[in-house]
Amino acid sequence: MSGFTMPSATLLAQSILSGVFVGALYGLLGLGLSLSWGLLRLINLAHFAFAFLAAYLCYQMAQMGVDPLLSLGLIVPLFFAIGAGLHWGMMKFQITPFNSLLVTFGLTGIVEALIQTIWTADFRKLESSYGEHNFKVAGLYVPLPELITLGLAVSLSFVVWAVLRYTDLGKALRASAEDSAVAAAFGINEKRNALLLAGTCSALASIAGVCLALGFTLAPSQIYAWIGVVFAAVMLGGLGRALAPLIAGIVIGVSEAVTMAVTAPSWAPLVSFTLLIAILLFRPGRAA
Amino acid sequence: MAAAVGPREPSRWRIPLAIVALGAALAFVPALGLPAFYDSLLYLILHWIVLATSWNILSGYTGYFSFGHGAFFGAGIYTSATLMSRWDWPFLWTLPVAAAVACVLGVVVGAIVFRVKGIRGEVFALLTLAVTFVLGTIIVNTPIDGGNGVSLAAVAIPKFGPTPSSTFYLLALIAATATLLVAWAIAVSKLGAGLFAIHDDEDAAEVMGVPTYRYKLVALAISCSLAGVAGGIHALFLNYVTVGEVFTITVPLTVVLMSVLGGTRHWAGPAVGAVVITLLLYSFTAADYAVAGKAMIGVILIAAILFMPDGILPRLQRLWQRRRSDRPAPPLARAPLPTVPAHGSAAAVGGVLLQARGLAKSFRGVKALAGVDVEVRRGEILGLLGPNGSGKSTFINVVSGHFLPSGGSVVFEGKELAGRAAHRIASAGISRTYQIPRPFAHQTVLDNVALAAMFGGGINTPAAARREAMSWLVFAGLQDKALDRPDALNLHQRKFLELARALASRPRLVLLDEVLCGLTPSEIDDAVALVRRIRDQGSTVVFVEHVMRAVMALTDRVVVFDHGELLAEGLASEVMQRPEVMRAYLGQADVDSGHA
Amino acid sequence: MKKTPVSRRFTLLAALLSFAGLAVAQAPSGPPIRIGSTLALTGPLSATAQVHKIVGEIYIEQANKRGGWLGRPLEWVLKDDQSKPDLARTLYEQLVTVDKVDLLFSPYATGAILSAMGVAQRYNKVLVHHTFGIPSLVKYDMAFPAWSLGSDPANTVPNTLFDALAAGPKPPKTIAVVTSKFPSIQFMSAGAREVAKKRGLQEVLFLEWDFGNRDFGPIANRIKDAKPDFVFVGAIGLEGNLLLDAMKKIDYVPPQHFYLYPSPGPLVTLPEAKNALSVTIFEEQQPFLNNTGAADFVKLFRERATAAKLPDPSVEVQAAASYTAWQILAAGVAGAKSLDDKAIAAWLKTNTVDTLQGPLRFNGPGNYGEDLMRIKQVQNGHWTVVWPKAFTAGGATLQTN
Repeated sequence: MSGFTMPSATLLAQSILSGVFVGALYGLLGLGLSLSWGLLRLINLAHFAFAFLAAYLCYQMAQMGVDPLLSLGLIVPLFFAIGAGLHWGMMKFQITPFNSLLVTFGLTGIVEALIQTIWTADFRKLESSYGEHNFKVAGLYVPLPELITLGLAVSLSFVVWAVLRYTDLGKALRASAEDSAVAAAFGINEKRNALLLAGTCSALASIAGVCLALGFTLAPSQIYAWIGVVFAAVMLGGLGRALAPLIAGIVIGVSEAVTMAVTAPSWAPLVSFTLLIAILLFRPGRAA
Repeated sequence: MAAAVGPREPSRWRIPLAIVALGAALAFVPALGLPAFYDSLLYLILHWIVLATSWNILSGYTGYFSFGHGAFFGAGIYTSATLMSRWDWPFLWTLPVAAAVACVLGVVVGAIVFRVKGIRGEVFALLTLAVTFVLGTIIVNTPIDGGNGVSLAAVAIPKFGPTPSSTFYLLALIAATATLLVAWAIAVSKLGAGLFAIHDDEDAAEVMGVPTYRYKLVALAISCSLAGVAGGIHALFLNYVTVGEVFTITVPLTVVLMSVLGGTRHWAGPAVGAVVITLLLYSFTAADYAVAGKAMIGVILIAAILFMPDGILPRLQRLWQRRRSDRPAPPLARAPLPTVPAHGSAAAVGGVLLQARGLAKSFRGVKALAGVDVEVRRGEILGLLGPNGSGKSTFINVVSGHFLPSGGSVVFEGKELAGRAAHRIASAGISRTYQIPRPFAHQTVLDNVALAAMFGGGINTPAAARREAMSWLVFAGLQDKALDRPDALNLHQRKFLELARALASRPRLVLLDEVLCGLTPSEIDDAVALVRRIRDQGSTVVFVEHVMRAVMALTDRVVVFDHGELLAEGLASEVMQRPEVMRAYLGQADVDSGHA
Repeated sequence: MKKTPVSRRFTLLAALLSFAGLAVAQAPSGPPIRIGSTLALTGPLSATAQVHKIVGEIYIEQANKRGGWLGRPLEWVLKDDQSKPDLARTLYEQLVTVDKVDLLFSPYATGAILSAMGVAQRYNKVLVHHTFGIPSLVKYDMAFPAWSLGSDPANTVPNTLFDALAAGPKPPKTIAVVTSKFPSIQFMSAGAREVAKKRGLQEVLFLEWDFGNRDFGPIANRIKDAKPDFVFVGAIGLEGNLLLDAMKKIDYVPPQHFYLYPSPGPLVTLPEAKNALSVTIFEEQQPFLNNTGAADFVKLFRERATAAKLPDPSVEVQAAASYTAWQILAAGVAGAKSLDDKAIAAWLKTNTVDTLQGPLRFNGPGNYGEDLMRIKQVQNGHWTVVWPKAFTAGGATLQTN
């Protein structure tokens, strides 16, 4: 194991940038998860399966000549419907938070099997024109797919934040999450709002999936590779929040990247997770 | 949790005897001469029973869902593997060490994490998951594993049975039997009652006398030790251990699923879930249907949860109970009602019981209590009055230990209590009720009261505590509701449950927080009579109230708070006439225009 | 010469008889020989395991067409170990003690093979394995490798590699070694460092990453900063691809680069993988195609793999090692003229088997023979063998970036 090496400024900056990009993806994946866990009280493991399913669909459409970003036009509404439909089912059966973990785990297995049947277990890489573009800003490389991911993550997080904070819908959602009986007494149409939110969360997952397809190689078993770190980002940021998963994701991504830049990369998880533990233990009394 | 009321001692041992008998019977399976494969398959099932049940001891019972079981399991695996491969320890000797290492790891984590306020729910889950990845990274980067894995091919497997697989089977059988016994024993003991109380309302439990920090640590320690043993055994079963296999989210996720599926509130729930899920995963190994099988498992899991939301075991229990419902319930035993608190001192009525001096409490700059001096005399009913926001509830919260004071002292029967943990204050002889009743939702009315008897009152066995509790339910008129859940009670009954709970620990000082609010006039009369009986049978009462009729009827003395400070003190009829008191309640203009 | 009518009829009769005889030989009869194994048909290892499934199916079909083994048809009892070694162990016990198969066969990858080996050892079954990555861990006498790494690959493989580089247009002077901490990779990378040092190469960078790492940006950056002549990437599966993606993003192309065990298909189609080196025991080119069974197998595999929608239907290390394993077991059975495991093992130890990879022997440590790993390179979107010269085709030589 190599000791500490002082990296050049460019190396450090490029690594931090790399951490920001991958952290943005953690945040984008975590956004929908955080909202559904915090506001709908459902722990949706299938969120990751949906993201990958969307990624595969994007890949498939690209094989047929459809531009990945254009494919969003089909993918987003499709997953909105799937998410709302799933939530409708959850509401009908009155699933509790921890039972939702079980149900969505089962669903993840089904989706994974579906993906493997259609696309085989082999690795699939989407080659798009976006991958060819690479900008150079102040001596640092900014590849286009990563930039798109960052842009989508930031803008979507802000949009969701604004909706939650300033619109009536957002306030209604937050009210229902705090005390649904009282909120309903005030005339809030909880069912309709919940369906809307669930659909949005899945739609967000699908957008994250398209970003995955743009930047990463896909395999069905990869679904599980993201669960740990995205859950970490979600819980670190606090549930039901819009900007927090993004910030937490970037914190995790950057801390790992910086570790990899200055010392043995295999220690990276130690640093990021210890940082996580420290922040959780010492952060000013924010209740979960 | 099935409440076994009635002190028929022999039935208490039915379950552990059944577990041991089943274990002993299963020990003969290898001798049946079945193919060794069955030993291995049963080993896997027993292995998961140990993991899931041990996880449940902390997480199911207390509600602190841990995602770190993989860390403790992995610690056990690597302890055994290292001892066997590096220092040639015989396999069996590594198992207690594996348990010890996992236990120490768990206690260290718990000691830090449980001290921090507000680490509940998802935060705890994440912390424990992070511990898993931290430990895995340390192990893979140090010579413990170093990335090459640890091979145990050269280690001798002790011969317990006809085949090596039967050795693992028997070891796992012993571990599983022990784990189930431990889980059952905890569930029916005082420790278990405390853990279940923590699950429902940790703060209320602490104030009632449950030493929550210590109990959580004990549960965690036991849970980790068992996981460590399972790990030690599994290391040799695997023969070759790698970090990538062990320190992942898979183990914790699987035990969560098994426990939730089987039912987390019951000691045997996770075992049921473990059997079902292992068999399910196993039954789809035929090559032709491998991928479809994975989908099938998902479908079955979803169906199971939709139809059995509390888990398999509770569902089965309900079906079983419905069949037995025609049998009349045995009469509930109760102890005779005491007239004098069990550990009252010989001091005369009228002496000072509690002395608060300069007691202060601030919440981030808001001074809820700005330094009050209050004296409570033995045997009296002291009224605590004041407009809303004057600090009355805060006073009760601070004296009972629900909040730590920002300054000042509280001396009770000569002992300083300010700053002590709430459960110690409870065992010193103080109890309180909550303005909005906070019963333990998943326990019966009887068990709610029994808890107070056990923890505040120092009774050590659940059976004796239930007898004591029954007396107090009779005292409060709730004996017919003993086996119901609190949500089946109306507000009046729930308030009386609060009272019964407060009394069951036989406190010398009872703090009542607006017991009468929300009650109808006739219910108020009942409550007033009850409070009087409480004092008459030996407790001192401090009670916060707004209902003037009750204040006038009951209190010997009153103190009046305003804006966190002591405004007046004396006889009720006299104090209420004072202009400053009227001003505090009614406002300036009304006083000037009002009458004397 | 003019054939007389009699001789013509004779020839015809002879032809008919031999045809009939052939027909009789082509239909195996009697109770099937049951061969049991598991594969990771689901789970993280399933991507590669599906190649092994196809290969096994091809072999069984071919063998049954040729008359089976010892005149009996073959039946493959295959189970899914879900990428879990503990399940693999249990399933192998089931295969031996419940299904009572006649012979065992290899599962996929080191972990599962170790589990299978343990079971095989307890029941004295011979085990031919095809994807075992850590020869030093083989402690079982009746286990036979189809993947010809040799018994000391951490030493021999890097030596072959550096020989190739030294004979190339730009022998490197500085080297960067970056590796995954995956068990079957790590010791190889450690060996590569040793060999490099012995040969006087200067190591300018050494990095290890956690298996499961997603972000290769910083690693790519550090490689670029170190400016090595040659990069040795101890990568398995996707990792090579991820690293190449990351290097492309910072506009870096290593002068020469090597990837230890990449996932077959994805790497060769990546434009950034131009001139990437790797190791192989077989490629779809001469002289390998002349080896026993190669030509037919290559054709069949291409058909089946395409039908199964695999992105890359060509035969490379995984498929070749798998097919070789079947060939070895077949030879063992035929040579011992029985299904007795001890007899098969004894025969294999003392004989050479002609396979896809050429003739193989099994009398070294761990029953390994020679290291038959050759160096191949991605050239024009195809894997081309570039070293040793005897195994190259069409005058292919090592290229540099």
